[in-house]
Amino acid sequence: MIVREVAPIEQFVEAAEVTARLQAAESSFAPFAPEVIQFCGRLSRLIFQSKSARAFPDLQALAFWMRPAGLGPLNESVRRLETAHSRLVPRGIVFHIPPANVDTMFVYSWIVSLLMGNRNLIRISSSETPQVALLCQILNEALAEADPVFQNQTIIVQYGHEREITELFSRSADVRVIWGGDQTVNAIRSVPLPPHATELTFPDRFSLCAIRAKKYLDLDEDQGNSLAEKFYNDTFWFDQMACSSPRLMLWCGDKEECQLASRLFFTRLQACIHRKGYAPEVGVRMNRFTFACQAILDRPITAYQDFQGDLPVLTLGSLENFSREHCGGGLMLEFHSSGLEALVPAVTHRDQTLTQFGFDSVELERLIRLLNGRGIDRIVPIGEALRFQHFWDGYDLFQSLSRSIYVHA
Amino acid sequence: MSGEDRFNQLLEAPQYGFPQSQKETLLLPLLNELTDRHRVLCPEYKRLISLLHPGMIQADSLAEVPFIPVGLFKTHALRSIPVEDVFKTLTSSGTTGQQVSQIFLDRETARRQTVALGRIMSHILGPDRLPMIVVDSSALVRDRARFSARAAGVLGMMNFGRNHYYSLDEQMNLDETGLLGFLEKFGAKPFLIFGFTFMVWQYFFERIRGMGLDLSQGTLVHSGGWKKLQERAVTNLEFRRSFEQAARLTRIFNFYGMVEQVGSVYVEAEDGLLYPPNFADIIVRDPATMRELPPGEPGVIQVLSALPLSYPGHSILTEDLGVIHSIDGSSSDRRGKPFSVLGRIPKSELRGCSDTHAVEAAA
Repeated sequence: MIVREVAPIEQFVEAAEVTARLQAAESSFAPFAPEVIQFCGRLSRLIFQSKSARAFPDLQALAFWMRPAGLGPLNESVRRLETAHSRLVPRGIVFHIPPANVDTMFVYSWIVSLLMGNRNLIRISSSETPQVALLCQILNEALAEADPVFQNQTIIVQYGHEREITELFSRSADVRVIWGGDQTVNAIRSVPLPPHATELTFPDRFSLCAIRAKKYLDLDEDQGNSLAEKFYNDTFWFDQMACSSPRLMLWCGDKEECQLASRLFFTRLQACIHRKGYAPEVGVRMNRFTFACQAILDRPITAYQDFQGDLPVLTLGSLENFSREHCGGGLMLEFHSSGLEALVPAVTHRDQTLTQFGFDSVELERLIRLLNGRGIDRIVPIGEALRFQHFWDGYDLFQSLSRSIYVHA
Repeated sequence: MSGEDRFNQLLEAPQYGFPQSQKETLLLPLLNELTDRHRVLCPEYKRLISLLHPGMIQADSLAEVPFIPVGLFKTHALRSIPVEDVFKTLTSSGTTGQQVSQIFLDRETARRQTVALGRIMSHILGPDRLPMIVVDSSALVRDRARFSARAAGVLGMMNFGRNHYYSLDEQMNLDETGLLGFLEKFGAKPFLIFGFTFMVWQYFFERIRGMGLDLSQGTLVHSGGWKKLQERAVTNLEFRRSFEQAARLTRIFNFYGMVEQVGSVYVEAEDGLLYPPNFADIIVRDPATMRELPPGEPGVIQVLSALPLSYPGHSILTEDLGVIHSIDGSSSDRRGKPFSVLGRIPKSELRGCSDTHAVEAAA
């Protein structure tokens, strides 16, 4: 069974040799070892220096996140996971299976894993995006300069969907990380792991946004525009296809406030779409219009606005049996209600990120208690939907990619 | 003038003869009546219009007639007649696993389609039924209760021929002996050849190109899109030239049409451009703003037709791109809007954190 190795060496190689090299990597690092932080710093610098990487805001965000200055505070929060009698150690070999086409999200879980001292095997699909190709090239540059001990800490391979290869790699994994749709997760989950191994899955998710209407109306024009622009970044960077990009907007307030705030906000958002020159392909637009018409027939829609074709907004009369099917490409569903509690019966485990404006921590905490784990893994201010945090899909990745060892002298 | 009179006037007047403004005056009230009719009789249509165009009463121009996306016929059974009045259900030809359009016809709509198609075809074929070569297999039309678009197309066209001869077997092999027999009997006088563009090229032309046949008395009518031929780099011009060189066949008419508006077909004139018949029209829209585009600017094609009574398909936004070349500015004897179809809107798949890998993993 031959796979294509992309990093650290570009070559075709026996799959068994890949696992052998990972298992033989005798020196592993402690969590947040200075060498690893240095390596992240070098990677970050190389990304910033790369002219080709400038075209990709997601790569820039990634490079910013992995600067040593940013990793320092993370180290402190990881140390807080240790108690007087417990220490964190790596889990061993982490087998990452990123989604076929988004981009750079998996790099975060890989870096977290690397920081915790794990060795990593990453399978990228044969249809890699330009971002991923570029990233592999930069990684190889960084590795070429790095201490040889890094050479076999991370191996990136490319192969099709040969189950035998996934089986072989899974046999040597201590943790398996699967990003992908529900079908992918199910398909890969059927491949056995060693009894002691753990698994993190990042399946299909849905995200939403809530705004206190009155608080939005209280903003002056600049503030109101600025919030719309943050929402734009959350939503349109990945054509509304990132799992944390909002698709449902909840307006909280009395009827009149909600209507006014909605109108004002979406008008400003439309202006922002124009300013940024967001122009989806014809096929995406047509698909969006067809989706809107289908939604009108199948869902309790009470109003349709299209903001001159730039932004279809569908108002829901009820969240009962709320369907999470969505076309992406910039279509908003909205619901007006008196408060956040309206979400409670509608939320399911599919729901991931709630971006919000105008609520205080007491209200948000109350919501979490009301939901009590039935859904919503993250609540962040508008503008931070796509910002990676080690808290993702209900995991603290630092915790999940390490073991806690109890020590009592 | 009543709606029925207007409709008959458009139908019976010489096709392609009205200047655009006069045609619009006659067509607009018919389309407004259809909008009203379907609002009353089709609850889904009523709901769509009330939300997409709240407060709308009447369109003041063809461009204002509300349209619905063609994809809706794939996901919803849109009917303006009770189930027991369904006389025929047409389905689009999709590949396996694809959703197909479902179009419900009552007897009256089916009749209108037949009459309308007859008016268009007699314009190019003359008043008499001609001996006809069908470039397809007889197996296609055996199930008469439920028609694929291809079968509906073939059956619709068969009304304009006689002594029908199916030239392909079920494996798409050309029956050469049968073809020679047909030509011996009928080839010296006008005859008709009909088939789908790709099949005519692949299974008919490719086989006869070396046979030295004389098809100079034939009229070839074909339809179904150029996508597969574009992949083989065969253009409309190349198609025509090849038939002329190989078999002296020069009377060739391509047409554009769809199962969602059977009977409203747009046939080529001698200038190689497509023309709307009297009772139908097209509008090209900017995909970003949905505004009507002037001649010369390519966009998404919307088709209008006065025919559909049994389903709300009188104004449909297609998934095709096209361009109108002029209004009443044709060099042929036809008036109205000459246009070209530029192909399908490319399917664009947005890629998310989740979706695309699934297909790969499931494979």
